[in-house]
Amino acid sequence: MSESTFSVEPLLASAHVSDATRAALLARLAAPAAYVPQLLAPEAYALLEAVAARLLPQPDRPTAPIPLAPAIDQRLAAGRADGWRYDALPPDREAYRLGLGGIQETAQAMFQADFLALAAKQQDAVMQQLAAGNPPGPAWETLNATRFFEELLAELTTTYYAHPLAQQEIGYAGFADLPGWTKIGLNEREPREPALPTLPSHS
Amino acid sequence: MPDTETIEEGVIQPPQPEIQDPLLRELLTETATPTLLNIPQEKPQPLPVEADEVDCIVVGLGAGGAPLLARLAQAGLKVVALEAGPWHDPKTDFATDEQAQDFLFWNDERLAAGADPLAMGRNNSGTGVGGSTLHYTAYTPRPLPADLHIKRDFGQGEDWPFGYEELEPYFEELEAFLGISGPTPYPWGPARRRGYPLAPLPLNGAAQLMMRGAAKLGIATSPAANAALSARYHQEGVGWREACTNRGFCQAGCSTGAKASMDVTFIPLAVQHGADIRPNAFVTEIERDERGRVTAVVYTQNGTEQRQRCRHLFLCAGAVETPRLLLLNELALNSGQVGRNLMAHPGVQVWGTFAEAVRPYKGIPGGLISQDTHRPANADFAGGYLLQSIGVMPVTFAGQVARGRKLWGQPLRDYMQNYNHIAGINILGDCLPHADNFLELADEKDGRDLPKPRIHFTAQENERRMNAHAEALMRDLWATAGATDIWAFGRYAHVIGTARMGLSGDDAVVNADGRAFDVPNLYISDNSTFPSALSVNPALTIMALSLRTADRFLASLK
Repeated sequence: MSESTFSVEPLLASAHVSDATRAALLARLAAPAAYVPQLLAPEAYALLEAVAARLLPQPDRPTAPIPLAPAIDQRLAAGRADGWRYDALPPDREAYRLGLGGIQETAQAMFQADFLALAAKQQDAVMQQLAAGNPPGPAWETLNATRFFEELLAELTTTYYAHPLAQQEIGYAGFADLPGWTKIGLNEREPREPALPTLPSHS
Repeated sequence: MPDTETIEEGVIQPPQPEIQDPLLRELLTETATPTLLNIPQEKPQPLPVEADEVDCIVVGLGAGGAPLLARLAQAGLKVVALEAGPWHDPKTDFATDEQAQDFLFWNDERLAAGADPLAMGRNNSGTGVGGSTLHYTAYTPRPLPADLHIKRDFGQGEDWPFGYEELEPYFEELEAFLGISGPTPYPWGPARRRGYPLAPLPLNGAAQLMMRGAAKLGIATSPAANAALSARYHQEGVGWREACTNRGFCQAGCSTGAKASMDVTFIPLAVQHGADIRPNAFVTEIERDERGRVTAVVYTQNGTEQRQRCRHLFLCAGAVETPRLLLLNELALNSGQVGRNLMAHPGVQVWGTFAEAVRPYKGIPGGLISQDTHRPANADFAGGYLLQSIGVMPVTFAGQVARGRKLWGQPLRDYMQNYNHIAGINILGDCLPHADNFLELADEKDGRDLPKPRIHFTAQENERRMNAHAEALMRDLWATAGATDIWAFGRYAHVIGTARMGLSGDDAVVNADGRAFDVPNLYISDNSTFPSALSVNPALTIMALSLRTADRFLASLK
């Protein structure tokens, strides 16, 4: 099996995947693309989607990108937490409300336009300012830009790589762990794992 | 009240006068029993006043609570365990999927403050019958003797109130009982009376790479001790546990029972000896009498408030929830040390990309160890650290790349393409207590309407120097092993020390037996009692202390 032909779907259907694992991954794979936000206002949600498209761009999936914004909206709506929060940040709903507003302010300050109206390169420039920790805009006087960006990026990134198609993209077959792994050393693989190109050695 | 109405309607049982004398009460109860048996079932029966009281309540069923629970039950005591989380069946409930396993973590929000805020949740917490052993890596090295007297050796930190020899028999017992896989003889520390019961687990790619780099630098390595079975093993109270299948998923829950989490080891043993396990039981209040002795615990289970009377209470809720319970109940606070002395292990990781296929999701994550750095010759800091190779699951790794490397956009996706060629090493180092590092109750309330814990942590000079020393060494080691694109992720693991033990109630919360100085029938058994952080992962020592506390308690009853 080569990397280019590695597909998670037949593997998910196989006896190498436990029922609990299959249920979790298939549910994520089947999540509908259309989503009506439950907590964020429509314009804030559209902004979050646009930000997600810059932080995790998916030019290879022009018609059906892995959905990222729904997970955040659903979590905020349910009031779920992941066990901790930077004390420097306000509660999550407030942080997202302030932070998304701040991104608009930064876009206005830099380009005198809404973030959604900007070209991809300009949107990236806004993200760059945010990532660097000193974006223009009054919201950032009350919201710690560095910590907010870290939280936003981490949540989008973990949502993305939890998706079976993202795991397929990086050649991850770890979910297919039945009956177990016997070939675990360097350059060793089981037939159900994708072969990998040998990277050029720099040592 | 409905109960009173029933009594009045029945008119069979007249109200019982309150009998004050315990002996008389006992005699009357005994003589009354035969006649009570003839009363029809639907009629209320006057229960003996003490019938509801159990010998011991254990709060929390992780590494601190479960061993002790089994010991007390084996001694014939009537014990009740209250665990905030559910009781899972890992074989059917646990998915090989990080996100689906989020229920293993304590997800009520904690506030992380200070210059180096401690990530909680998946990094530093647990819930469920088994506690955080449900997702520990199973890495179970013993501390080295010098770890227990860092103050004597360096003039900083705090010494333990006893030496290594006091814990040694418990390490031996635990290694045999849990079925720890490890090297015999062990290359570091004093000669051992007993070897590990099982051979080490097989090495994965990261372990092989660390061995390669370390050998070139003259650093000794060894397969590590891990509480996961390298061969089928018979577990008392459980039966046969099957060998590890190298799933590499220890940190998101073991579905095979090969890892020695408490739910497949001490808890079945405790149940076999009559322990009453109550999952989903969140403790809210600890009641006391006028003398200050604990009399009962109030908890919420499945939405209903319950009250359980007890003769002795063991708090084993971990170094965040144990001090939170003490602070909320204004219990055992006389020393002023509850919540103070908070320590966290320096755990800086170094990652690199290798030409070889690593596939870092397979095999026991911490396959290889070196303790050559326990007291480095060129150190400019107190204490030391261990080195280990690490496997990593993809979502955890991606989150660290986002937070630590701050990659985003196409560079993030490009870097993640290398996942199967990436391997990591990290350290686990000692930490000194500092006045700036503590836990307090915040004004902000959580979903249960209780004050959120706020955890202040700022790495001090000693931790910063240790991290710098370790990062330089690991970068060198990884480059020597053939890594490119090397980067470091600074992190801290485990919360320790927030209700420490010591020789005096002036500067410690519990004595060397784990008993609270202020409250004679309150014991604490978890990582909050550690006087110093130690330079090894805490689980094995928490279990050893748990067994020791149980033995000291049982001896005190005689």
